[in-house]
Amino acid sequence: MLRDRLGKELLYFDGGMGTQLQERGLAPGELPETWNVEHPEVIRETHRRYIEAGSDIVLTNTFGANALKFHDERCPLEEIIRTAVGHVKAAVRESGADRRIYTALDVGPTGKLLKPMGDLDFETAYEAFREVMVIGEQAGADLIHIETMSDTYELKAAVLAAKENTSLPVFATAIFDERRKLLTGADVPSVVALLEGLRVDALGINCGMGPEQMFPVLEEMLRYSSLPVIVKPNAGLPQQREGRTYYDVAPEKFAYLMKQITEMGASVIGGCCGTAPEHIRAMRDACKGLRPLPVTEKEYTVVSSYGKSVFLGNRPEQNSGSRIIGERINPTGKKRFKQALKEHDLDYILREAITQQDNGAHILDVNVGLPDIDEPALMEEAVQEIQSVVNLPLQIDTVDTEAMERALRIYNGKAMVNSVSGKQESMDRVFPLIRKYGGVVIGLTLDEEGIPADADGRVRIAEKIIGEAKKYGIGKKDIVIDALAMTISSEPEGATVTLETLRRLRDEVKVNTVLGVSNISFGLPSRPVINSAFYTMAMMNGLSAGIINPSSEDMMKAWYAYHALMNLDSNCERYIGRYSSAPAGTAEASSSGPGTAGAQGMGLGAAIEKGLKEDAHTITVQLTEEKAPLDIINEDLIPALNRVGDGFEKGTVFLPQLLMSAEAAKSAFAVLKEKMDKSGEIQEKIGTVVIATVKGDIHDIGKNIVKVLLENYSFDVIDLGKDVPPEKIVDTVLEKQAPLAGLSALMTTTVVSMEETIRQLREKAPGCRVMVGGAVLNQEYADMIGADFYGKDAMQSVHYARKVFGIGE
Amino acid sequence: MERRIKEAIRYLGYGRNAADDRTLALIEDAFAELERTAAPKSVCRIFDMAQTEDGRIIIGNMEIRSTSLERNLKGCKKAVLFGATLGAGVDMLIRRASLTDMAKAVILQSCAAAFLEEYCDEEQLKIGRELEVQKLYLRPRFSPGYGDFDIRYQEPLMRILDCAKTIGLTMTDGCVMTPTKSVTALIGASPVKERCPIQGCEACGKRDCEYRR
Repeated sequence: MLRDRLGKELLYFDGGMGTQLQERGLAPGELPETWNVEHPEVIRETHRRYIEAGSDIVLTNTFGANALKFHDERCPLEEIIRTAVGHVKAAVRESGADRRIYTALDVGPTGKLLKPMGDLDFETAYEAFREVMVIGEQAGADLIHIETMSDTYELKAAVLAAKENTSLPVFATAIFDERRKLLTGADVPSVVALLEGLRVDALGINCGMGPEQMFPVLEEMLRYSSLPVIVKPNAGLPQQREGRTYYDVAPEKFAYLMKQITEMGASVIGGCCGTAPEHIRAMRDACKGLRPLPVTEKEYTVVSSYGKSVFLGNRPEQNSGSRIIGERINPTGKKRFKQALKEHDLDYILREAITQQDNGAHILDVNVGLPDIDEPALMEEAVQEIQSVVNLPLQIDTVDTEAMERALRIYNGKAMVNSVSGKQESMDRVFPLIRKYGGVVIGLTLDEEGIPADADGRVRIAEKIIGEAKKYGIGKKDIVIDALAMTISSEPEGATVTLETLRRLRDEVKVNTVLGVSNISFGLPSRPVINSAFYTMAMMNGLSAGIINPSSEDMMKAWYAYHALMNLDSNCERYIGRYSSAPAGTAEASSSGPGTAGAQGMGLGAAIEKGLKEDAHTITVQLTEEKAPLDIINEDLIPALNRVGDGFEKGTVFLPQLLMSAEAAKSAFAVLKEKMDKSGEIQEKIGTVVIATVKGDIHDIGKNIVKVLLENYSFDVIDLGKDVPPEKIVDTVLEKQAPLAGLSALMTTTVVSMEETIRQLREKAPGCRVMVGGAVLNQEYADMIGADFYGKDAMQSVHYARKVFGIGE
Repeated sequence: MERRIKEAIRYLGYGRNAADDRTLALIEDAFAELERTAAPKSVCRIFDMAQTEDGRIIIGNMEIRSTSLERNLKGCKKAVLFGATLGAGVDMLIRRASLTDMAKAVILQSCAAAFLEEYCDEEQLKIGRELEVQKLYLRPRFSPGYGDFDIRYQEPLMRILDCAKTIGLTMTDGCVMTPTKSVTALIGASPVKERCPIQGCEACGKRDCEYRR
């Protein structure tokens, strides 16, 4: 069995297939997989030469054979894959090799970028991989080798497809650059964490660089990986000569470097682009008699997002100190947040995420549970959306198992999960999900009997959770124990028990810990006083991560001070960076300029015209003392917006200023809205406008500009986002009975979807007017596709919208 | 004033007007943020090229029909296929700003465009220096979508360069590049040295464009 040999003896892959075929006449841009059918003899011969050179694992010629990348009417995908597997098998027979040769189904990337950065759905990518892998297994492949992946999300889709639909061993390697990162930004520990969590059999590096340049990446990978490591370098860096790409590391040099790579700790070695059978032969000769170093279990606790890994507890080169888990994405006790969830206002949630990151959070807790909402669907959506604006690892916080599973599946990285408890029922539900998708799970120290009053009881539950996890193959490193903070207003020993529990978990159980810190002060006045002091004490007693509000300056002061005092902040750099110049609490530079003018008698109109966001806020607060909100809107706000809008159209005010004014007006509106909500007064919206960037297009800046302006002019704007299918736009227009839709497209190729959207709107919602805008459009083009109005700029859309709703200009 | 700042101001729609101090300060901040976030990468391959009498342009095994490109490449012996991107991080930066501050978002958007052009110019100069050894001189780069050079040529161009693998550049079904701050182009190389090869929108036929330099 391959799995038994893995990591115990050195196994050899083959070398590059594509570059071999290029030498035999494969043209640039031609699909190499077509050669399985058109030049079968060349493919077999290449395989045979690799086997004769000493390869134990031979890759099928299927790198680009997936439905998203491979389009050729002459060769159906299934035939390509079946013949490819057959060619390796035939080559094994022809070679007469007397050792076991494994046929590895080669699976490369789709060549498309997944959402949210691209337009490919996670499940579409999964489906494309599934198709190839199922055929490959049926055709007789011995293992699946996923390689050259430059995006952790696509990597996850591929590994899941392999694990869920085949029983074959899974190898997965990614392509790193000289910064030791994937093209999409992931670092080495995050790739290792993701792949280990998904339980591949071996992981590693291929392509992109020569053996020498791979040393630093390999070194880092070996430090964190508890699995056998695969290394398949190119024969150097690509060079060009006479329009041809070539690689310049000769077989002897390659072999010499691969021997070093094996001595460093690689267990499975081979070559990628530019390596020929001669390279493999020389490598095999050079490594003769070598055995791989033993693969050891590493004990780091790592959570990751697509672009970032966060360590909890200690790591080799540094003590990470205590991590901050932002608690703000949670409706509990937050009226505004509940409202946002009910109204499906994801932008509100995203802004909470951004604010917490800006204020210093390392991980963000995500809880969207409310009665009467579809939590699994919303959780899945929230996780995806948050990952499109924030690169921090997320903590999936839910008691709904379906929501947990859907979030874990769609999550890009290795998530933190909140939570499992010592109750058998809870462990039975949660651990299978962690086993399948990977993750670091919070274990609550409570069980069927409730929360133990003393540290002994809590430590016992922690040990029970760790023991049960082990049955699923989930190590202690992937468990973080919540020692539970009970409010001291009703439990006088609450703090001391929690602190003792933390200390013993650190010293005796040697497990990482977490706390929802602010529970400690529930029911007391001036809670931040107690919270921040308790936070410091908890960190002192070993708290690995605190779930806190990063916007609370008291908590952040405690955090910075603790790390400076405990020599966890080299040269107090972070502390000085935060507190040396800026007055405490000042976030990073905002675009609204100095916020002092409010007191100096500037009017609201002037603040808006100048685009001073904070001043507009302050002045509005003052104004509401003496003036009714509606009067402020009609007498100050709207006239100021009109003046700026006029200036923009005359060419005396430019886009950035127009938007600064819009943002200032927005901050004034926010004050007024709060005031009116309190008094029960309702500001009538003019009406509903549905806006979207059409299918196939992902440029949404123009659409977002229109949104901000329309909102300021009291329209209720439903923003469907980018890459929106016509059907969704039609359905929303019908559902909201919107009299106006605004569509945006940037390119000639996507104006086609705009035209289709208009056609469908005309058919199903004939009463809805359509305005269009975007770089390639002009009046003529807009007329051609049947739009009612072409907006040359954002102000024109406002004028048209007002006209549609019968408001005099 | 730095060229890229001037370009950003132009993209913001200022035409010949000067930008106010606050916008200028925001532009400088935006470039600083882009310096930290962008991960520019490029790839190129050089092919022999030929132009047939019936107006086809043949580069490698790609065949193109386009009068504007034909004009651009007249007299060239070789063509450089070129792709570049600032990476997905810049898209995320702009998206974040769109949620919190639209003024910042449009400024970042324009600055990223200027940043990308500057990067492409630098890369093109490097390629140009290498080709000068062979006594070949580069023309201004010409992208699919310019004039009548069909945007759909982006697909074979990216396939030949293997952009997804080499620099992480892909495109949607609608031919939109992802990451969005990216360029693909053809650059002709001719034995005749002409004036500066880095020339932008002056060469374009669309004279009523509001962003024209």
